[in-house]
Amino acid sequence: MTEVTSAATTRQSSETTTSVTPALELRGISKAFPGVQALDHVDLVLRHGEIHALVGENGAGKSTLLKIITGVYQPDEGTIRVNGQEVRFGSPRDALRAGIGAVHQERNLIPKFSVAENITLEQPPVRGWQFLDQDKMVEEARRWLEAIQLPLDPLTPVERLSVAQMQLVEIAKALSLQSRILLLDEPTASITPHETEVLFSILRRLRDEGVAILFVSHKLEEIFALCDRVTVLRDGRLAAFDTDLATLDRDRLVTLMIGRAEQIRELSAKSVDRSRPLLEVRGLRASTGAQDISFTLYPGEIVGLYGLVGAGRSELAKALVGEGKILSGEIRLDGQPVHIRAPREALERYRIGYVSENRQLEGLILTHSVQSNVAVTVWRRLKNALGWISAQRERTTVSPFVERLQVKTPSLAQAVGNLSGGNQQKVSLAKWLAADTRLLIIDEPTVGIDVKTKHELHELIWDLASQGLGILLISSDMPEMIRLADRILVMKEHQIVGEVANSRRYDEVSEAIMRHIHADDASGATLPVAEDRQSSAAHHVPV
Amino acid sequence: MNVAVISVSRRRGSWLQAEWVWLAGIVALECIVLASLEPNFLTEFNFYVMLRGVAVTMIVALAQLMVLAVGQLNLSVGAIGGVVAVCTGGMMEVWGLPTIVAIVLGLLLGTAAGLINGLLTTRTGINGFIITLATASAFTGITIGLNDAKPFYDLPSAYVRFGQGRAGPFPYIGIVTVVVVVALAVLLTKTVLGRQILAVGGNPRAATLSGIPVNRIVVIVHTLSGLLAAIAAILLMARLGSAQPSIGSDWLLPSFAIPIVGGVALTGGSASILNTVLATFLIALIDNGLVLVKADPYWIQFLLGTIILGAVGLNRLRLKANKEQAS
Repeated sequence: MTEVTSAATTRQSSETTTSVTPALELRGISKAFPGVQALDHVDLVLRHGEIHALVGENGAGKSTLLKIITGVYQPDEGTIRVNGQEVRFGSPRDALRAGIGAVHQERNLIPKFSVAENITLEQPPVRGWQFLDQDKMVEEARRWLEAIQLPLDPLTPVERLSVAQMQLVEIAKALSLQSRILLLDEPTASITPHETEVLFSILRRLRDEGVAILFVSHKLEEIFALCDRVTVLRDGRLAAFDTDLATLDRDRLVTLMIGRAEQIRELSAKSVDRSRPLLEVRGLRASTGAQDISFTLYPGEIVGLYGLVGAGRSELAKALVGEGKILSGEIRLDGQPVHIRAPREALERYRIGYVSENRQLEGLILTHSVQSNVAVTVWRRLKNALGWISAQRERTTVSPFVERLQVKTPSLAQAVGNLSGGNQQKVSLAKWLAADTRLLIIDEPTVGIDVKTKHELHELIWDLASQGLGILLISSDMPEMIRLADRILVMKEHQIVGEVANSRRYDEVSEAIMRHIHADDASGATLPVAEDRQSSAAHHVPV
Repeated sequence: MNVAVISVSRRRGSWLQAEWVWLAGIVALECIVLASLEPNFLTEFNFYVMLRGVAVTMIVALAQLMVLAVGQLNLSVGAIGGVVAVCTGGMMEVWGLPTIVAIVLGLLLGTAAGLINGLLTTRTGINGFIITLATASAFTGITIGLNDAKPFYDLPSAYVRFGQGRAGPFPYIGIVTVVVVVALAVLLTKTVLGRQILAVGGNPRAATLSGIPVNRIVVIVHTLSGLLAAIAAILLMARLGSAQPSIGSDWLLPSFAIPIVGGVALTGGSASILNTVLATFLIALIDNGLVLVKADPYWIQFLLGTIILGAVGLNRLRLKANKEQAS
């Protein structure tokens, strides 16, 4: 509470900020859902020409606040002012009309539509009696693409773009609606540091042009690199209001977010016994795209797989567990050649698990209970001679893992979809622990997960390896990679282009990795084109 | 987030979620209303008439429910019923096969028809809607073509006696229904297969990556659906005392209406046998009430339509309430 008052005083005393009408001002916003007070008298001030960070752990109320600003929810209490005018948003359309553009965490583009069609979707230019004006559409799209310096053919279908490009198209779309207020929810969750830098330079330029930007992210490094001021939410309340980021350091910010000082356990390099490999991959080519992949993984080792989005890391992981056909090459487990034809064989015969990067789409059954989501991998082991499973037996098998991972859930019967993102991720990991795997492929374990849970997951992964599990860790989060991995393989265009020993010195390792990735990139400034289909496809797009 | 807070809201939610309480309440209410309005309702014969209808429709609804559980649908339940009825009738009358043999062959036929649905869906990757729409037409063609749309009347007498016999208000064919209901309830709640079925319906991608043979489960479920349709057809034949090619032609609507009223998620992943049983009674009672008050049968059709819309609407509201609560 002291932070709030002190921050408020700072604001009062600073003339530069109080003299100008804020672009967006929220006062005393409260919102309750049955049984949960999601927001309790929250304030937010966003000025033109400012990048403002909104941070807080999962469940702190950030999403609810964003949904109120974009008109998805209506607040129970409190006022919203846009440029000093009090407004009331009945729907997302109202918010759009008021000049508030949002780029949500999940993509909101229509894959089959072209870039131009997506950008002009809300207000397509028309000619005569409601006929679409194709030329004007392209022209308008080109204008906004230029505004964010994105060299794309407006007629390219969105499905051909890389994730980062889609992100930027969404920003162009938001800007095309004359948005002077831009909300970005976890915009860097699925893009690489290099792409992030490009995005940031665009955001800085927009700021200098007077756009008010609200930036939501879990990545504190980014917040300090990009933002000017910060508002911190904790348990639906203000933990810090409109504070100058220059007055804070990382530890202070984390303390504000979690309510106490952060304790980071040192996850040092492990001594790995490299006498007998657990997994050997030699010259693997798979229908999912892997090209001549070779590497070795030892028991107790965490091998990182780093690369740009679209480099083919998840595809390689899936090929290893039997999703997708292996065209040539060899996989050896404990020195024995194996042919894994389906994830089921990977699990039951070889005890290999794949923790998907997309827990909602591929990892969990959201409408089902925590219990059955964890037990799904062991059902066949739990059945008795009649093929029956007793709920009791299932429960006693599952609970130790739910406890070990400290999954916060009112009961094992709770639907997983009702848990927070961090707890969902824990459940999707727990099922592989229950399955007693000895080789785990963990794909982007902490995307969109708060600092505290992230540390817990890191410690867990490290502990698992210490107990002798082999872990292949896929991550686009460089600090995570450097904290956990023993060695880092760098992947590009479905090939492994380099290996970096992890000295745990950030600058050194990240530079070595990026050098491998950009080894033959002439231009470092433009966005990497993720798909090679793109260039050929752009030519024969039907108009 | 605070654990205690969640558990409070969950308790409140679980009352709304306990759908069977609502369904049972409505069924009880219907009984009270009908009993007070219509003296004929409480007669033994009326109950018998109602139950013999329920005995067949319940199995038809379950045949659809199993497929809905994996997030697919089977438009050919009625068509399978028809082809099984005509073929089984033919085997009894024309070939003179022993009753049991004919019944077993009839059940196998339905099972095979379901297997075809399942294999076509998984092998081609074409939407089950299209596949079963096509096979429905094919099966119906066979049904009508085999005996020029004429029924078989000469069915074994013991078989027909079973189909039309009763103990008080309870029809003998209901025994089969009870066995089917219990078996499916055990399957869904107690067995690995049941859990796998619901997991596939809940999220096929997650199920695959968790080591569940998704295609095999889908084939099994379609096959089971075919078997259930065949059971329903053979019971209905016995009850009618003839193998009508029209058997099954009016099953499609109730096969969806009952599971939907029972609150099944059309996206898959949920299936409650208890809710389906209650929903069968809920709809049968409305049907029975309209017959008792001598309403035009077309109004029954109309009412069924409105009930489906109402049930779907209610379900949406419920899901929305749960979702708001969770976020």
